[in-house]
Amino acid sequence: MTLTDPREALADQSSFIDYLVGLAGLARVVHTLAADSDRRSGPPRDPDDFVHVLLGFASLGGAIEGLANPAVAQVHSTGEAPPGSAVRRWLR
Amino acid sequence: MSPEVLIGMLAELERIRELTLNLIERETPRLLPTPADEASGTERTVFDLLLGARRAVLGNPAAARGLHDLLVAEGRRYANTPDGARLRDALVASEAVENLRRVWETVSLNVLDGPAAPNAAPDAWAELLADAVIGHGLGDSILARLRPEGFA
Repeated sequence: MTLTDPREALADQSSFIDYLVGLAGLARVVHTLAADSDRRSGPPRDPDDFVHVLLGFASLGGAIEGLANPAVAQVHSTGEAPPGSAVRRWLR
Repeated sequence: MSPEVLIGMLAELERIRELTLNLIERETPRLLPTPADEASGTERTVFDLLLGARRAVLGNPAAARGLHDLLVAEGRRYANTPDGARLRDALVASEAVENLRRVWETVSLNVLDGPAAPNAAPDAWAELLADAVIGHGLGDSILARLRPEGFA
């Protein structure tokens, strides 16, 4: 499939939604890890890149779930609800 | 040079890259271990998943580093929000995260950490492959053919 050889059913074969669902699933795994009842022993440590990668997955997953549920979407950065019209426009 | 020729060059470079990686993997079996004979079911699935993650990182270091940096940046941004800060603190204190960190470090061999030029493979990746090749390496018989006479 190239730009000069389009195929009509490409949208049907797209795995884009599966990709988003996979990211949302990873985000839930991150929340599960955070809720683990076993607490780490030893002195407290600063969050490193590994923890921030997990936070990145959690943030992306939250945003994806927000796309799927625009009525309850939350914007992390501002804490304010996004304009409804803007979210709905994405879903079209 | 026409766009078609340039794209053809890119495709050829990609093919050479794949062949080189295949050669390195064959010559350094420690990077591509075989599963245990008795591995089956879930154990085999997990093994294949982890090995796939290692191949993806070792085979595409610049892309993997770029993705890693994007996720870190997004994670730092999220950590500046109240929800993100709570999640960050819970992750830091979680023993499960420590276990996952050990798994990731074993799989990735830490090649994504440390310095890296923008849009380039991390230095640690080159150092790991150099160690693997020199340590158990491309046989001298191969290199000897490429080395001009009298060249140290």
